[in-house]
Amino acid sequence: MTFAEYLTRNYDNLLELGLEHLNLVLISMGIALAVGLPLGIVAHRNGFLRNPILAGAGFFLTLPSLALFSIFIPVLGIGAPPAIAALSLYALLPIVSNTVTGLASVSPAVVKASQGMGMTGFQRLLRVELPLAWPVILTGIRVSTQVVIGIAAIAALVGGPGLGTEIFRGLRSQGNASAPNLVYGGTLGVIVLALLLDAAFVLIRRLTTSRGIR
Amino acid sequence: MADTALATQALPGTGGTAGTPGTAGAPGRAESRRGGSPLSWFGMPVLLAVILGGTYLWVSSLELDTIEQRTLNVEQLTRSTIEHLHLTAVSTAIVIVLAIPLGVLLSRPFARPVVPAVLGIANIGQGVPSFGLITIVILWTSLGFWPMIIGLVACSTLPILRNTMVGLEQVDRTAVKASRGMGMSPLQVLLKVELPLAFPVMIAGIRTALIINVGTAALGTFFGQGGLGFIIYNGITLNRTPVLVTGVVLVSALALLIDYLAGALGRLLAPRGL
Repeated sequence: MTFAEYLTRNYDNLLELGLEHLNLVLISMGIALAVGLPLGIVAHRNGFLRNPILAGAGFFLTLPSLALFSIFIPVLGIGAPPAIAALSLYALLPIVSNTVTGLASVSPAVVKASQGMGMTGFQRLLRVELPLAWPVILTGIRVSTQVVIGIAAIAALVGGPGLGTEIFRGLRSQGNASAPNLVYGGTLGVIVLALLLDAAFVLIRRLTTSRGIR
Repeated sequence: MADTALATQALPGTGGTAGTPGTAGAPGRAESRRGGSPLSWFGMPVLLAVILGGTYLWVSSLELDTIEQRTLNVEQLTRSTIEHLHLTAVSTAIVIVLAIPLGVLLSRPFARPVVPAVLGIANIGQGVPSFGLITIVILWTSLGFWPMIIGLVACSTLPILRNTMVGLEQVDRTAVKASRGMGMSPLQVLLKVELPLAFPVMIAGIRTALIINVGTAALGTFFGQGGLGFIIYNGITLNRTPVLVTGVVLVSALALLIDYLAGALGRLLAPRGL
């Protein structure tokens, strides 16, 4: 069977796996954002906590992915949950560090001006600092997403869902004539997903950046 | 561990423009301080000693059944660790020899036309899952130590290449011009000015290569190459938590230790004045 034949026959299977993969990535990114953004803001506002927070987020990125996927299995069981936990931790550092960098790059004069206008600290954050820092933060989110898409393929090795399962199936049927097709299909799927999400970020960037700094 | 705080500096793509997304893998760190607080020197070794000691005490307090004993014995753990180190060391050495000179070459003026293409490939290459890439290499060759090494090298070459190129690009152009004005030849400028100034970024690249390789080497067990991934996967398939946890702790400790040593070495070797 040629690769083209494989693709036409397994089109819907690959699509389904791709959606599983996307789902895994989106849920993990959602969690990472919900945790990472506030952490980044705290790290920016509190100089004392900045280094511990960044070091903590960097710590997870140093751990081998197989280890991080596996360590949650005794607690969360086999399947998607341990993968989501691991991927969320992997996604943290770029989000946190870019939030800190972005907020730090906001001109002090603008911050002073907003204080002079009588804004409270929270208003200032929401209406001045975050919109101005947003392009940098979004870049962090994009980097995180790319990292997570690739690493999510490893989830299959520890019983998780996604396109990695197709690669793993190919590896296990090594020697079989169809094995390369499975591996190519899974790998190509991940690459296509990465490119699609990267393109989506261009759109998100346009839609979510404040008009004043576009 | 405190030096991770500098990660923001070396994480590419923080510039806010569409730019290049950052490297996959560990945070790059542009170290510049020679001294540093005691915490940055001793924090990680102490943490590792506590984690390893704690795991040892916990496992030895358990009554291991025969299945667990088959994996959790000194001989097996040593063998897996050595296999893991072997994979990591060989692949990293090859990547350093391959990617750094290539990066230097690509930063020379005559290579300027091909640079955007290389960076473009490097960016797309980021989306390639390492697991898929190694499997493809194995399918094209065979199961074995060297195919696994080729796979590891394939996974870590692009990030390091880009790190070197970006590092050399960041070297202050006025410093280069001043050295040329002092009568240095282009080669002298490269050796005496550009490379020393790019040193922190290149060390960060080597460190990243080590972290990527030590992490990816954990997949070695799926390709018949053992390593500490073997312990972890045994723990999962046999449903034995002590085995799984031991594997996870050992491989994580190894990654953190290697990262710490590379960082400490980078700080000691950094050219003075940076």
